[in-house]
Amino acid sequence: MNALLISIWLLPLVGAILLWAFGPQLNRAAGVVGTFVVFFSFGLTVVLFDVARAPGGLHVALGSWVPGFDFGLLLDPLALLWALVITGIGGLIHAYAIGYMWSDKAIARFFAYMNFFVFAMLTLVLSDNFVGLLVGWGLVGLASYFLISFWFYKPSAVAAGRKAFVINVFGDIGLMLAIFVIFAQLGSLGYASVFSKVGHLSTPTLLLVCVALFVACAAKSAQVPLHTWLPDAMEGPTPVSALIHAATMVTAGVYLIARCAPIFNASPQSQELVGIIGALTALTGAILGMAQWDIKRVLAYSTMSQIGYMIMGVGVGAYEAGVLHFWTHAFFKAQLFLGAGLVIHALHDEQDLRKMGGLRRRMPFAFLAMLLGTLAIIGFPGLSGFFSKDAVIYGVLERGHPMLFGVGVLVAGLTAYYMFRMIFIAFFGTYRGELDDAAVGVTERAGSPEPEDHAVHLPDWVMQGPVAILMIGTVGAGWFAIGGTASPWYRFFGDTFGTSAASAGVSGFPELASTILVLVIVAVGFAVAYARYGSPNAMAHAVDQLRNESRTMPPILVHAFYVDDALDALFVRPARALGTFFARFVDPHVIDGGVKDLVWLASALGLVFRVLQNGLVRTYAFTLVAGAAAILVYAAWMGSR
Amino acid sequence: MNFDPSPYVALSAVIFFIGVLGVLLRRNPLIVLMSIELMFNAANLALVAFSRAWVNNAGHVFAFLVITVAAAEAAIGLAIVVAVFRRSTNVDVDEVASMRG
Repeated sequence: MNALLISIWLLPLVGAILLWAFGPQLNRAAGVVGTFVVFFSFGLTVVLFDVARAPGGLHVALGSWVPGFDFGLLLDPLALLWALVITGIGGLIHAYAIGYMWSDKAIARFFAYMNFFVFAMLTLVLSDNFVGLLVGWGLVGLASYFLISFWFYKPSAVAAGRKAFVINVFGDIGLMLAIFVIFAQLGSLGYASVFSKVGHLSTPTLLLVCVALFVACAAKSAQVPLHTWLPDAMEGPTPVSALIHAATMVTAGVYLIARCAPIFNASPQSQELVGIIGALTALTGAILGMAQWDIKRVLAYSTMSQIGYMIMGVGVGAYEAGVLHFWTHAFFKAQLFLGAGLVIHALHDEQDLRKMGGLRRRMPFAFLAMLLGTLAIIGFPGLSGFFSKDAVIYGVLERGHPMLFGVGVLVAGLTAYYMFRMIFIAFFGTYRGELDDAAVGVTERAGSPEPEDHAVHLPDWVMQGPVAILMIGTVGAGWFAIGGTASPWYRFFGDTFGTSAASAGVSGFPELASTILVLVIVAVGFAVAYARYGSPNAMAHAVDQLRNESRTMPPILVHAFYVDDALDALFVRPARALGTFFARFVDPHVIDGGVKDLVWLASALGLVFRVLQNGLVRTYAFTLVAGAAAILVYAAWMGSR
Repeated sequence: MNFDPSPYVALSAVIFFIGVLGVLLRRNPLIVLMSIELMFNAANLALVAFSRAWVNNAGHVFAFLVITVAAAEAAIGLAIVVAVFRRSTNVDVDEVASMRG
């Protein structure tokens, strides 16, 4: 058992090292090796399914540094769920990437990074203590940096990678701070011992720990105001966007809060804060998603919005609901990204929605994938997203947060609008790819297109197969949760999350009413999208309308609420000014200046003493004699006393 | 067995002083070397005299050591003089000042 768990954890690392070492030899076979390794890990995870559900899960002690610093692996239901998604959906995305990256020369490097990411993410979720969590937390940020900047010859990709890395490190600092406080107060870092001693923490300390943990979540999971790296991260290859920036890494924040449920349960104020930020993120993401033209950026903002839902759910204490939304979202968002990848691939790297149109007939499979994913994300009854979103929205109300409930309902409507806006513009009407950029209002490119050489193509099924498998999950992943708290989903977790102090406020509002309200709002969102982009009338004037809309887009939406500019003014520019100050004054005058003064002193002394070194032997001899005479005189004088 | 070393030491001092003056004042390297030789032997004389006075053989041993060192010094000194003389026909120690700082 223990060996199996360690294998799950280390296999992807072995794969990464193999691909790094033998990449040039393996060349395109690297894709197959990388994919196989991840699927093997997935197989082992499935084997351990029942073991992980035993009380206490499966625990493997790896070693101890000093008392309180014990390293080990823990596979309990929560870690199991994440491990299944990381290796399962990760494996499918690896398989898809074989087709997507086939014509890229650096395919071995790509799969090495992808395997490394899977290893890092498994470190994060399988660790049984906060230090291992931090290590995984940092490593996934590094892997994300590698993969966003994968096409390092594109300056925009490098800039996006750097931005993501810096913001993620900001989150790491939050996590580190929380760990310091926990260790200082409780003297241990293992989950089990920390959670059993949460009661010893005072309220302000608890609040500090929770806020620090949440800073880490916000940076990793793209919560307001640390979300600006996520849309830029779409510069990476599309499979990366699907795996890291939709399905797994960005949900690490959800994992962290769910994992630290005992801590958050003890601090209702911080739960309130997390819920509010989550709702704000959901709303911001949805509003910005409505104003995007780049197909991947639409999906990026929708990811942000959906993670907002998850954070809102786990924040207010509806852990099962928030985690359920992670589970279903992993399927349909991966599918949406991979579907978008099919479109981008087939259109020779066109990502602008305005240059698409009418793709329904050209690529029916991609249309099916995108439509199914869209229906799932907006919560079409029966599909996976319906159950999870409903659970989150009602869970929030159930725990006495009517305001957040209202935001959740509103965002559901906005989601329906912007997702169907994308579907209608890209897949209905007539194809606009042959038109000029200006005719459809494209003035500047949000992201740079994905570079590829189209000399070789694999058969379609290589990329369509994984998407088809994801469809099963997109439809059915939510069915486990049918039946509310008695469902297999809730029994799966048992008492993993404990009970929240704030979960008392059950309102009289029945769940059915909440569901119907959400559905009505979703229908309204869909109707607006249909009227604006999908009706025969709108179709007829699509070109003019798109051009018009591009021109009249409110600047505040184009600039994404100026969050980037605000961060720039608040942090980047002061930091740069400080750097300039040090470069102009401190370095030349203090640090360099000190060294220069020393040099001047040495050369001045040299000037004085070089006079003695005149090269005349007789002078040296005289000096010697004079010295000897001086010693003689001194000795005589001393002797005479 | 009373031995008074004073005359020997006085002679030693005189010879030593002559040697010092020779080194400081003469510019011919051969003369300088000879003057150094004088100083060695002045020291030897003093050593032997004191050795006799204190009835201690260490002074004799030291004198022999000094003779050996003096021989080595003469060999090296003359070799340097020959080397310098090969480079230029100058035999003035003041002209050989290429080590000036």
